[in-house]
Amino acid sequence: MRRSLMLAAVFVLTVPGFALAQAPAAAAATGSWVGPFGVLVAGFAMAFAAGLCALGQGKAIAAAVDAMARQPGAAARIQTAMIIGLALIESLAIYVLVVAMILLFVQPIKG
Amino acid sequence: MEAIEHPPIFRLPGIPDHVTYTWLVMLILAAVAFVASRNIALVPRGAQNFMEVVLEQFNGLIDDVIGPHGRRYLPLIATLGLFILTGNLLSLVPGVAGPTANLNTTAACALVVFFAYHYIGIRTQGLLTYLDHFTGPMAWSWGMLPIKLLMIPIEIVSHLARPLSLTLRLFGNMVGGHILLAIIFFLMGFNGLIGWALSGSVAGAAVGGIGGLIMIAFTVGFLYPLKILVSFLQAFIFVMLTMLYIAGATEHGEHAEHSSEHH
Repeated sequence: MRRSLMLAAVFVLTVPGFALAQAPAAAAATGSWVGPFGVLVAGFAMAFAAGLCALGQGKAIAAAVDAMARQPGAAARIQTAMIIGLALIESLAIYVLVVAMILLFVQPIKG
Repeated sequence: MEAIEHPPIFRLPGIPDHVTYTWLVMLILAAVAFVASRNIALVPRGAQNFMEVVLEQFNGLIDDVIGPHGRRYLPLIATLGLFILTGNLLSLVPGVAGPTANLNTTAACALVVFFAYHYIGIRTQGLLTYLDHFTGPMAWSWGMLPIKLLMIPIEIVSHLARPLSLTLRLFGNMVGGHILLAIIFFLMGFNGLIGWALSGSVAGAAVGGIGGLIMIAFTVGFLYPLKILVSFLQAFIFVMLTMLYIAGATEHGEHAEHSSEHH
């Protein structure tokens, strides 16, 4: 089951390459695979970044809520610290979003 | 971003959109300030009351983060906060471009913060004491010298990362939300579900109508409140980090806590 899923994933990942190999006119210009793989990379990068960022933020929020439940008097300060920490964690995913948007819209590597 | 987002309805020829709408934000803020301070009363009413409450919030934050001596930086901090908040909220109005969804605007704000906190640090502590911050919090001694020399490039990179991260955080949050909204509108617009519902076919009326209603409910009930929350949150975070940087630049070396770690 898992192996067939992996095979399917590999196949999906290589479809743009096959499609370009089938179309020599499009592939004649050197490096024209960059465009479709840029789209793929942008999507997968954002997926990984969002997932890992959610894990990190979840840990931070869990710890902060735990602390707020133990110390309701310090809730305001804990919340401020939590929001700042969340912003700092989130900015890493935002970097990936910016890189993905550069890949999608600016397309610096035309090939 | 023009590939996805619709350009704003009102455009000045030859002037970029974010500059036009920065002027609109300036006009709004100037008008509010004028109305609030037109006839100042000892017992505030109306607009004056509102603005005093807002500025009291800023003062409370400054007292918490920098300390009471930080109140002299209220003009810088409150101006940044109000400008970014107004810009964020303005970009939620359909047919209007948000100035904070452009890299140039956010980079300008972040560079102002970058130069301002260095200037504040040098002015409050003197040049040499301030430059000593860049060698870490350890006391000077011969044994510590290699570590302190090693700290200098690390600190410089960390300080240079601050404006970059301020810029990209605000820009990325705003543009990410705008692309999300644009895609949702694209899916449910007259080329999408609603167009399918109006096309006259039975399947279109059933699926497109229900789907369009769900999308409208999702947008109005969830996405727009989320965007409003993000607008406030990003303005708050920008102001908060600005205050942390100023606090880190003005506090003295002995109890320079972890404020140099924020980037």
